[in-house]
Amino acid sequence: MAEFLQPDSRRCSYFFLYDGSKVRGEGDPTRDGICYFYPEETPLDKQELLCGQLAGVARCVSELSSSPVRTLRLRRIKFSIHMKDDFLWALGCSMDVPTVSVCELLDQLISLFCFYSGPVRHSYQLNSQRTLAERWARYLSHLQLGSSALHHIFSSLRTIDSTNVDPLLLLKAALILQACQRCPLVLAGCILFRGRVVSTQMTPELTMKIMVYESETYSRAQRPNGPSSSGSSGGSVSSTNVFLTPSELQCLQSAPVDKDHRYSRRFLRYLKTRLSRTLSDTPSSESDPSDPNSPPVFSPAPSVSSSDSPRPSSRSPPFSNGQASHEAEGEPLDRSYYHSFHSNGDGAAGDSGPERRSPLNGGGRTGAGAGGTGAEWRDGDRTPPPPPPGASETSREEPLVPMTLYMHRVKGLVLALLVEPPFLNDTASMEEVYHSSLASLNGLEAHLRTISPGAPGGRGPYVFAHFDLIQRTLTSNLSGRAGGAPEHSFVRATSLLHSHFCNTETLQEAIIRSAGEAVYGTRSVAQETYFQQHGVLLRNSGIPNHQDSAFSLPAKARSRLLKHGVNLL
Amino acid sequence: MTTKTSLLKVILLGDGGVGKSSIMNRYVTNKFDAHLFHTIGVEFLNKDLEVDGHQVTLQIWDTAGQERFRSLRTPFYRGSDCCLLTFSVDDNQSFLNLGNWKKEFIYYADVKEPEKFPFVVLGNKLDVTERQVSSEEAQQWCQENGDYPYYETSAKDATNVAVAFEEAVRRVLAMDERTDHLIPTDTVKLHRKPRSATTCCS
Repeated sequence: MAEFLQPDSRRCSYFFLYDGSKVRGEGDPTRDGICYFYPEETPLDKQELLCGQLAGVARCVSELSSSPVRTLRLRRIKFSIHMKDDFLWALGCSMDVPTVSVCELLDQLISLFCFYSGPVRHSYQLNSQRTLAERWARYLSHLQLGSSALHHIFSSLRTIDSTNVDPLLLLKAALILQACQRCPLVLAGCILFRGRVVSTQMTPELTMKIMVYESETYSRAQRPNGPSSSGSSGGSVSSTNVFLTPSELQCLQSAPVDKDHRYSRRFLRYLKTRLSRTLSDTPSSESDPSDPNSPPVFSPAPSVSSSDSPRPSSRSPPFSNGQASHEAEGEPLDRSYYHSFHSNGDGAAGDSGPERRSPLNGGGRTGAGAGGTGAEWRDGDRTPPPPPPGASETSREEPLVPMTLYMHRVKGLVLALLVEPPFLNDTASMEEVYHSSLASLNGLEAHLRTISPGAPGGRGPYVFAHFDLIQRTLTSNLSGRAGGAPEHSFVRATSLLHSHFCNTETLQEAIIRSAGEAVYGTRSVAQETYFQQHGVLLRNSGIPNHQDSAFSLPAKARSRLLKHGVNLL
Repeated sequence: MTTKTSLLKVILLGDGGVGKSSIMNRYVTNKFDAHLFHTIGVEFLNKDLEVDGHQVTLQIWDTAGQERFRSLRTPFYRGSDCCLLTFSVDDNQSFLNLGNWKKEFIYYADVKEPEKFPFVVLGNKLDVTERQVSSEEAQQWCQENGDYPYYETSAKDATNVAVAFEEAVRRVLAMDERTDHLIPTDTVKLHRKPRSATTCCS
């Protein structure tokens, strides 16, 4: 499990949290405001320089435009920015990481922190800076480790290879979770095997957060005992305090029977509305009109040069903390991508360093700036939770709800449950949950353990990546981290196409090519698929030509991917 | 040999719905849940107990009775020390199927000497008033098939459950003692006896 941070595998080159409230007067040193800086070995002077500059620019731009800044570019590094109250977070990645992914990474990081530590201001009052620095570092390394470049592009959930597992076992896992829910203190849960999701009742975003604790307890369990720690009871149960956003909580508390169904339907509706740029994009009557985030006005994203890419961002503010992680799509494209694709190069976007949301969309919405950050901790679902008190004007801290994360480990298998805090004191409930699931967990572990990791087969003369937007799962025949040259170009092309799909909502199919290679990408409301054929003589005439082999890619993708369970028909 | 006596693998087989999971739960956690799901694949629980001065950990494997789960359960038959063939006294078909279960077990567990393997037969749901299988029928079957011990149990009201498992343990321990005696005189055979394949299902 120990996968070390290789320089090329780390997505993030800089990350810091800066507290502007500590640096008010002229004479206040910038370093007072630096809560955490990564890489930690960075000389303090350099830390100050970067924090000072970025904080200044971000503040300036957001005040001038009255809209929150999302990305800034400094030389060869792209920074995703998040500002809230006096705090400013910045996460810097190399330029070839898609802007969407950088923003997602930052949002994930912040929401992870809040999930385990509660509101930021509050936790900095309660804990030492050092303790919290350890947490930031841990979350940062968790998000960067152990997955491929493709996982990084899509911020996907790591799941078990379901093509290799008897579906009945997935059913078994789902039934274990349902059985646990018979205890009224249990909200929802998920089952993980060796760091991968087997079954979950929660949103992908929430599941991702829980997986951090799982990997923590795993490494803790491994350290003292070595690999043969097979205590099938006793110390296999642990728990920790967590904090849910009101919308996360509401999503979990909705009727258990209907939960999955409702979730996906809601999400689909959300995706669907985004596809059309008509008046139907205004909030439907189903979404509560009292939702403070439903804008009364809809801006139909006129096709002004750069705002070709921002989708109508009427829905983006609620997402602006990455729970649903589509908010970044409102970004103007990164220039280099933009040019390489739209060869007419209408650079009217006037790239002048700071990239930020077009005021046409973002600014008009959020009004007085503060609103942009007010209701941030909300999930992607459109169920209208009662607006948290003072959310839109005076929020100093989000009203996060304390919950408990209960975890029961059977070797490589983990049952993780979100429970009401009284659960831990309720011996009867705890025993009930423990005993009613133990036999099944033992069995499931035995089943999953005997499954061979799966023939790396399925590798044909092609590579593909298939991303399920609803479950946030990725299927690919690309070997994990062997960064061969052909794979590298596939990953780059995929990253480029993914950016475009995120930015141009009407785009459904695209082929991206160089002199020697061509990658096909297609997407629907629920999925994105990327495909590259190897070993075919590429006939590239330079102009559209029916003999051009690139145009046979869609048909090839359809036929080849069927056997991987990807249906593009 | 000490490892073998400390952990005993006991497997429950029988038609779906005869109460295998309930028997296991009753024995290990002393609880009864009338609304259990169908077992999918296999499950197991451990229980420590002492039988005739021997400390053993009983690993009780509960299996799915439905035919459609066959491919999931059969890989786990191997290594069993004892097999509890279970039927329900209010379901004649489950009784008639005992022979098939025995065959399936012997085949997939790759039992070397089936005639010596310790089986125990359980007629569950004793609490139900309308029986379809009489005690005599069941006992007769046990006698004819290898003189297996027979217990009528009720997971619901805990009748005979512990007794049955203890008997299973005794059978296994008795087997072990017999083989233990043989060991000093017996040499390790590297070549398996060429058992004729034609008669394996007789």
